[in-house]
Amino acid sequence: MSKSEKASSAASPRVRRSRGERVLIGAAVVYAAALLLGPLIAAVWGSLSEGLAAFVREITTRDAITALRLTVILAAAATAINTVFGLCIAWVLVRDKFQGRRIVNGLVDLPFAVSPVIAGLMLILLFGRGGWLTSITDSMGVKVVFATPGMLLATVFVTLPFVIREVMPVLEQIGTAQESAAYTLGASSWQAFWHVTLPSIRWGLLYGVSLTFARALGEFGALLVVSGGISGLTETSTLFIFRSLDDRNYVAAYATALVLAFLSFSVLILMEFFKSRR
Amino acid sequence: MSIVLDRITKRYGKQLVVDRISLEIAEGELFVLLGPSGSGKSTVLRIIAGLTLPDQGRVLLSGRDVTSLPPQRRGTGFVFQNYSIFRHMTVAQNIEFGLKIRKIRAAERRQKRESLLEMVGLAGLDNRLASQLSGGQQQRVALARALAYEPDVLLLDEPFGALDAKIRSQLRRSLREIQQKLHVTAILVTHDQEEAFELADRIGAVDRGRLVEAGSCQALYSQPRTLFTATFLGAGMVLVGRAEQGRAHFGPLSLPIPDPVPHEDGSRVQLLFRPEQVVLSQTKPAEDTLLVGKGTITEQSFRGGVQRVRLSLPRLPATRQIAPPVPFGEDSLLVDTVLPADHPTAGKELWVSLGGWHILEQPRSRLMVFDNGSGSIVHLQIARWLAERLSASVTLLGVAAEPGRSDVLSKAVKRRQEEAKLLDAELRVRSGDPAEQTAIELAETLYDLVIATRVPRRFFFHESRLDSLGAVLLKILEHTSAPVLVVKEQRAPLSRVLICTAAGEPGKNDVRVGGRLARRLGAEVTLLHVTNKSQDPSPLARTHLQQAIATLRGADMTGNMHFRQAATPSEGILAEAREGDYDVIVVGGHAPRTRSAFRLNDVTRQVLAGTGRPVLVVPQEF
Repeated sequence: MSKSEKASSAASPRVRRSRGERVLIGAAVVYAAALLLGPLIAAVWGSLSEGLAAFVREITTRDAITALRLTVILAAAATAINTVFGLCIAWVLVRDKFQGRRIVNGLVDLPFAVSPVIAGLMLILLFGRGGWLTSITDSMGVKVVFATPGMLLATVFVTLPFVIREVMPVLEQIGTAQESAAYTLGASSWQAFWHVTLPSIRWGLLYGVSLTFARALGEFGALLVVSGGISGLTETSTLFIFRSLDDRNYVAAYATALVLAFLSFSVLILMEFFKSRR
Repeated sequence: MSIVLDRITKRYGKQLVVDRISLEIAEGELFVLLGPSGSGKSTVLRIIAGLTLPDQGRVLLSGRDVTSLPPQRRGTGFVFQNYSIFRHMTVAQNIEFGLKIRKIRAAERRQKRESLLEMVGLAGLDNRLASQLSGGQQQRVALARALAYEPDVLLLDEPFGALDAKIRSQLRRSLREIQQKLHVTAILVTHDQEEAFELADRIGAVDRGRLVEAGSCQALYSQPRTLFTATFLGAGMVLVGRAEQGRAHFGPLSLPIPDPVPHEDGSRVQLLFRPEQVVLSQTKPAEDTLLVGKGTITEQSFRGGVQRVRLSLPRLPATRQIAPPVPFGEDSLLVDTVLPADHPTAGKELWVSLGGWHILEQPRSRLMVFDNGSGSIVHLQIARWLAERLSASVTLLGVAAEPGRSDVLSKAVKRRQEEAKLLDAELRVRSGDPAEQTAIELAETLYDLVIATRVPRRFFFHESRLDSLGAVLLKILEHTSAPVLVVKEQRAPLSRVLICTAAGEPGKNDVRVGGRLARRLGAEVTLLHVTNKSQDPSPLARTHLQQAIATLRGADMTGNMHFRQAATPSEGILAEAREGDYDVIVVGGHAPRTRSAFRLNDVTRQVLAGTGRPVLVVPQEF
């Protein structure tokens, strides 16, 4: 179907546009290019300013690699957690009309509204020295703040809304008729979800998942507060960039930034690729 | 496989959606549940399939109680109105879904699928994506999918509702063929009477959650028992007349009342005749025909081979027309019928007589009286008087603040009931917030009239703001779609009725309801219009009152017109009521569920607060 659409758009005569329209399109393109491409070019420029060898050297230092590994692991774990719980929350918000539903619905957007730094501070208040829940975590032998669990918590908090907000409208749109049909055909709730509901919401879900992952890769503020930034241990790529800038190691900063940006872009472009194929 | 429903009841919040529906459907039968949208018929279907749990009642499939079984274990095939086909699957995957779940071998699935596709007329489309099919094809796939694992019962929820007329009729034919071929018991839900007639072995008419009547198409069309079935199934004229010595009288027509429809002398009788039972003639027919009168054709519409015409006749004395509804301001008798398409019609005068007719069961009015077990019993006394005049049944409602006090209240109300000699009334005691429980009772049972009195002080929320209108009364007025008679002092017989059309808005319903009540009570009617400008009423007001008088004539009533000048409408109404010593003041209410209806400056509220006379508050039409 998409093929025939392409063919017809290629064959169609040039669209006539008014001058105002042309100006508007031009403005939009220039604005987007300046805002998005500018920094990207600067990053490329900065990381290659001392040659390709310096670029390779800086991104293969022990600190840079451990930071990148930690970043990817955190992002992957946070994405997995938010996919499962995000689906559950979206499901409950759409399907169950319970009291306080609107409050929960509003709370979901909290991570968008609250600065990540504040989110990090809240975690310290809860799990830091003398924190409200510290005695519990201590007795379990888990160190939360200035360690990976706290960083994971921070990342999960910051990226919570994406899956929920992408899945909810799709769930609402498909309604319950298909599921009900599956039930009457003998499918259990799990079978109905797996064979009927999940395939119907898969694009929304995939979109939410990729946004979550991309956002998790770039998280900085909350992590700065909860990680303690111990290099080689709790330092993620964004923190590494921050420290490198502080150390006036500009090539390392730009090079890592470029790698991170490349990762995020690839996720989003992969997403667009899948979207265009459906 | 037979289906038995045993007093199924379902509520959504306060709303009663399905009300004690009992039904038996024989094996291999195609039963159609027919009703307007929102009448609860789809909920019944979902309850049979197990997709919705009933609050009360049982569902039996082949004698097996399945009420608490999940849908997966009931063995019903369900076809939904829309969007229920699995859009991401192919036609083949859709049809095989139920078989695959049941772990049936691929070869067998394939064989079954091919024969089903053949049957629904989609052979060869196996690998098409469901989303690429047209609406009609999708519903064919849905049907094949529901039939794939050979269910004992097929449930169809408006399956053709979203399709265009031509495809709909094709699908109906296929459905009927397949259903008969497989001999599967089926229930189809629809609001389309044509569809019901075409498909049904039997039809069940559903109105507001209740199964009003069930029977063959023929029986329901030509011998309906109730007004609802008579007017919902097919077009028809319904007139209300009076019974006298075993015969029903509608102006010059005198018809024998058949045995199964008992009527006391003087009670109301409803007559139904269908368009095809109307006989038109150019010359006056012979003496022994049932002549209705001479009418003029006022409307006509082309229907292919035939044309529909509406004739306007002079109203028959001592009768009222229910269907088709007579427009406000007219008092003629309207008769619909069909003529050959080439019959010349315009402006023609024709004699109308009846070739056939049917008398409906006697409708009994229902009154509800709200009582809280203390204070004056004037409302109970008026209720008794009205019940006798209207030959109505009475329900007494008491609401206890807490369940433990129900017995005490019930005893108190019973004592008062005896005191007021209101002996035939049915007593219902609920517990909870009085206003809320009354609203639920009003939503659950259709009452023709609600009678309430001033509510004692302890029920007031803000006495200064509501003055003599209690919170309960206010809630009743806000929620009911039935007229409410507010009684404060003893006053019977009610022989003088004042209908107020003052508040600017022409209260068409006030005139209809007030006029009808007055006629049944044998009371005299005065129509009042209050102006605040000059002595002389505006031409518009005059026209409106004249229309109101014409409408009263349509209800077989006469009325006087009064104009009055006053600073505010309520002052005018109260002064007129005092001077004329009226027994009932009829004022307009609000449309149900519009919350802001009763403000401090509301005319209705001021009238209610300013007089001790009974006030009939008539809700607007909605």
